[in-house]
Amino acid sequence: MAAHSDFAPEVSPVERRRDAYVWRLLMTGASFVLFGIGAAVFGVVLLPLVRIIPASREHKRARARTVMRRGLRLFVGFMHRMGVLTYEFRGRERLGRPGQLVLANHPSLIDVVFLLAFVPGAGCVVKAGLWRNPLTRSAVTLAEFIRNDSTGDMIVSAAAALHDGQPLIFFPEGTRTRPRQPLAFHRSGANIALRAAASVTPVYIRVAPTTLTKAEPWHRIPARRPHFTLVVGEDVDLQACRGVPLPLASRDLNERLQALFEAELERPA
Amino acid sequence: MQSDDEILERIRGTLVQLFQLKAADITPAARLYEDLEIDSIDVVDLMDEVQRHTGRKVTPEDFRSVHTVGDLVAVMRRLLHQ
Repeated sequence: MAAHSDFAPEVSPVERRRDAYVWRLLMTGASFVLFGIGAAVFGVVLLPLVRIIPASREHKRARARTVMRRGLRLFVGFMHRMGVLTYEFRGRERLGRPGQLVLANHPSLIDVVFLLAFVPGAGCVVKAGLWRNPLTRSAVTLAEFIRNDSTGDMIVSAAAALHDGQPLIFFPEGTRTRPRQPLAFHRSGANIALRAAASVTPVYIRVAPTTLTKAEPWHRIPARRPHFTLVVGEDVDLQACRGVPLPLASRDLNERLQALFEAELERPA
Repeated sequence: MQSDDEILERIRGTLVQLFQLKAADITPAARLYEDLEIDSIDVVDLMDEVQRHTGRKVTPEDFRSVHTVGDLVAVMRRLLHQ
């Protein structure tokens, strides 16, 4: 039976629901609720404490990021223990170096949760909507995350953060991957890399079966329990781009990065 | 003090070098996005060059109203004469 289903065509109209489907559905809902409650607790109690306790702006930023990382780590632990998902994160000890630009593909809603939970001290380029959402506004403000609504401001701020020695998480797709579409990287990631990164490290994220993609509401969970595999790749060599004017160099690097991710993600994890 | 023609000539040189454009296409009326295919990321690289030429700090704000090469000349002139 099991061997049979492994060879079943992917397009089978209805896959049999398994891995405690109803429980996973409930716990997926619970995860969203918990995220909301957690964000409220952080926003109302912990982050105001960080803001009030006297410290330099840099210290407050670092504390806010630490608080957030620990919280998200607990959240990942919750989802894992409740059976919502399983995951493995290979090579994560190589993340969090000063001035490191961490580039990741973006197959699911919670990729950023994983990266923020496991990369110490990192900033992140995130959508501007998080500054308008009352649940997330104080966190992204105090942690000095960078908003992506104006390309010019984003590039300048991201480069400044890297020059300052902060690690920075960036999703070159800009938004979640469209399932069954080729990757499309925004060139700003390559541009930021060449401007200011001390090192550029890819993180390849695979989710099987896919879940929480751009095309799905939260309650359409997969028939099987999803497994997240995050693999930290080798640093990208930027030497070939040096001495070339930035507009050309960033186009080259962007194509190289996109090819790198396409090749890597085609392989089984 | 530089004339607009001199500034345009410098911009022409910069655009040719950075974006491998043809000098003849770079006229004051040429639109950066539509005619020269310079996008919002390129504009940041261009800002760096303007900063180098003028010795002034240039922000994305300075570039918000830049649509044509002529607008770019105007921004350069303003920065140089500040």
